[in-house]
Amino acid sequence: MRFSQPIASALLLAAAGVAQAASSWSFDEASLSIAAKKGADGVKEKLNAKNPLSKPVALGSTDTLKVALTAKDNGKGKRPHQAFVILKEQDSGLEAPFPLSTKDNGKAVVQISQKEIPAPLLVSTKPLKASIVIGSFGSAQAYNSQVFEVEIKTDPSAPAPQFEKPLRYGQKDEIHHIFRADPKSPPKVISLFFALAVIATVPALFIGWLSLGANLNHLAKAIGAAPLSHASFFGSIVAMEFVFFMYYTSWNLFQTLPVAGVVGAVTVLSGTKALGEVQSRRLAGER
Amino acid sequence: MRSLVSFVLLLLVAVVSAISTTGNRLLVVLDDVAEKEGYSKFLGDLESRGLTLSIETPKSESLSLFHLGERAYDHVILFPTKAKGLGPSLTANILLQFLGANGNILLTLSSGSATPSALVSLLAELDIQLPADRTGLVVDHFNYDSASAPDTHDVLLLPPPGPLRSDIKDIFSAGAPADQLIAFPHGVGAALGAGELLSPILRAPRTAYSYNPKEQSEAVVDDLFAAGEQLSLVSTFQARNSARFTLVGAAELFQDKWFDAEVKKTGGKAVKTFNQEFAKRVSGWTFQEIGVLRVNWIEHHLNEVGASNESNPKIYRIKNDVTYTISLSEWSWTAWNAFSVPKNDALQLEFSMLSPFHRLPLRLNAKQSTAEQAAYTSSFKLPDQHGIFNFKVNYKRPFLTNIEEKNTVSVRHMAHDEWPRSFVISGAWPWIAGIGATVTGWLAFCALWMYSAPVGGKKESKKTQ
Repeated sequence: MRFSQPIASALLLAAAGVAQAASSWSFDEASLSIAAKKGADGVKEKLNAKNPLSKPVALGSTDTLKVALTAKDNGKGKRPHQAFVILKEQDSGLEAPFPLSTKDNGKAVVQISQKEIPAPLLVSTKPLKASIVIGSFGSAQAYNSQVFEVEIKTDPSAPAPQFEKPLRYGQKDEIHHIFRADPKSPPKVISLFFALAVIATVPALFIGWLSLGANLNHLAKAIGAAPLSHASFFGSIVAMEFVFFMYYTSWNLFQTLPVAGVVGAVTVLSGTKALGEVQSRRLAGER
Repeated sequence: MRSLVSFVLLLLVAVVSAISTTGNRLLVVLDDVAEKEGYSKFLGDLESRGLTLSIETPKSESLSLFHLGERAYDHVILFPTKAKGLGPSLTANILLQFLGANGNILLTLSSGSATPSALVSLLAELDIQLPADRTGLVVDHFNYDSASAPDTHDVLLLPPPGPLRSDIKDIFSAGAPADQLIAFPHGVGAALGAGELLSPILRAPRTAYSYNPKEQSEAVVDDLFAAGEQLSLVSTFQARNSARFTLVGAAELFQDKWFDAEVKKTGGKAVKTFNQEFAKRVSGWTFQEIGVLRVNWIEHHLNEVGASNESNPKIYRIKNDVTYTISLSEWSWTAWNAFSVPKNDALQLEFSMLSPFHRLPLRLNAKQSTAEQAAYTSSFKLPDQHGIFNFKVNYKRPFLTNIEEKNTVSVRHMAHDEWPRSFVISGAWPWIAGIGATVTGWLAFCALWMYSAPVGGKKESKKTQ
């Protein structure tokens, strides 16, 4: 009793195997030929239902690939309802079926040329995998196996087949804005050198003036003659520079203008008196 | 006690609202009202989800999808009819208008009855092709149910479909038992156009094909309509307004018979069908019960130290650092849940003027997220270009509500007092020194000119001249 079960299952298995062998689709007398349009001798290969061709066959742009076979149900030629050659692109998995025209005795044939192959398969860089599917209604087990590979050779002189992937909603590539480069300054050493060179002109100017005899000897005389005018005139010139400095550092135009106006008025009013005193010295021959 | 009552009331409200996000009025169009017995489980399932069913036949005179210009129903299921036409109230144009008015349609076909021409033209409008002569039957000599169709091979058995792409959430077969199969009995396959609004839920197996039982009973030679995965058995169309349309090739898939059936592949063991759960998910998706997204709020603000953190200002300056946050929820059957972006996919923010200047991924911000909503955020520096820009989130994915959100802001250029001061710029030092030298020289010159006494020798030399 204990071993009856394994025996039963073994029997079942055998029975299933027999049933499978007894009724399954396959093909025989199959051939694959490639005929060139220009009459050149094409390739001809025998196809086997069990072993696929080891090397891919090349299909040129004007060639025609022809698959002829005899479909057999349990060894007898019979017309199947479905007899397809299916070409498959290896990367995307896209497939294109080519139904074979069948006869009652199971003879089936199909011719495939490049213009019948859809564009997404034509642009493939890898060989297309071709399987043969034979099946029909009833209990017979259908056949589906990869039997050969086709390499598409496009005509280099003709325009290459165009295929644009259809738009699909999905993630898009990231974009990062490329900013314009920041404004650049020359090396600090150079700026510093020229800034110092510019500053050095001030002492050079003073030394030059002093060497020509510049002095402030009439200061006491001028203050003595017109003290208020001279103080406010020179003071207003200094104040105007201070106004400019404030404008540079913090004031806006509307703060600057009234102050500059007041300082300017002072310059004009005190200037007449102060410069008049300078003129009187000139007329007196003291300048 | 009162709080308990209000709690119960609240619960009731929650239960009652536990239905589609767009409404609960469902129109069921059957050839004969008596046919509903065959779909009792499916229809009962719909009713238990809170939809109110109105069952009509195409011949009914009171049948109208619109009342006074408004939708009279929120969703429609069309079961196959024997009649050639569907009558004046269900023309392709009216059905398209219904989609345009945010109505959802679940259309079922069967190879047993020719598809009415109104539906063929509706499908043609959506770029879905049916086999010529309005009849077709999908068979597969490899994956058929050997219990019910050992000879005819027209009851296809398919594993639950899995996600369409690796970056799409698997909403139709997630959690399905691995050994369960979907039975697709006596169905019609369709070929989908290349449009991005169409997506298949269930594709035919590699070896399946569609043929015309009347003309191609002997063998399929010419006029092969479609075969393999080009045949779509259950297809969807989501319009730009997010109205949903589903085409189910086999109405029998929804029948009680196939909900309970045990099916068996040749050489396999008998398993229960996945049909009931699959029907629930397909109808739930179509009637906006799953895969519905909602934008709760959008917020953007300056992300700079010391700057005001005012929300959604109208204007920014070029090169400002800015943070943008969007909150999304997903409705799944009964409640709004936090939406999680599928793996391999990204929610992207575009900052665009005509074309995007930035396209950046938005990342989950756990601090601002709750169970009901997920906040996605991105911080970035505005481009160095002034103009009118948009913060744009354009999230359109198969099987999810379309999201297109645009918030317009101005980006101004730098004001004159926002640049670095000239003394900071080392290249300006010689020029600043020049101004200093000029000022010093000018003041010294003024003093000399007014107060310098003539030098004796010079005066004499002048006189001699």
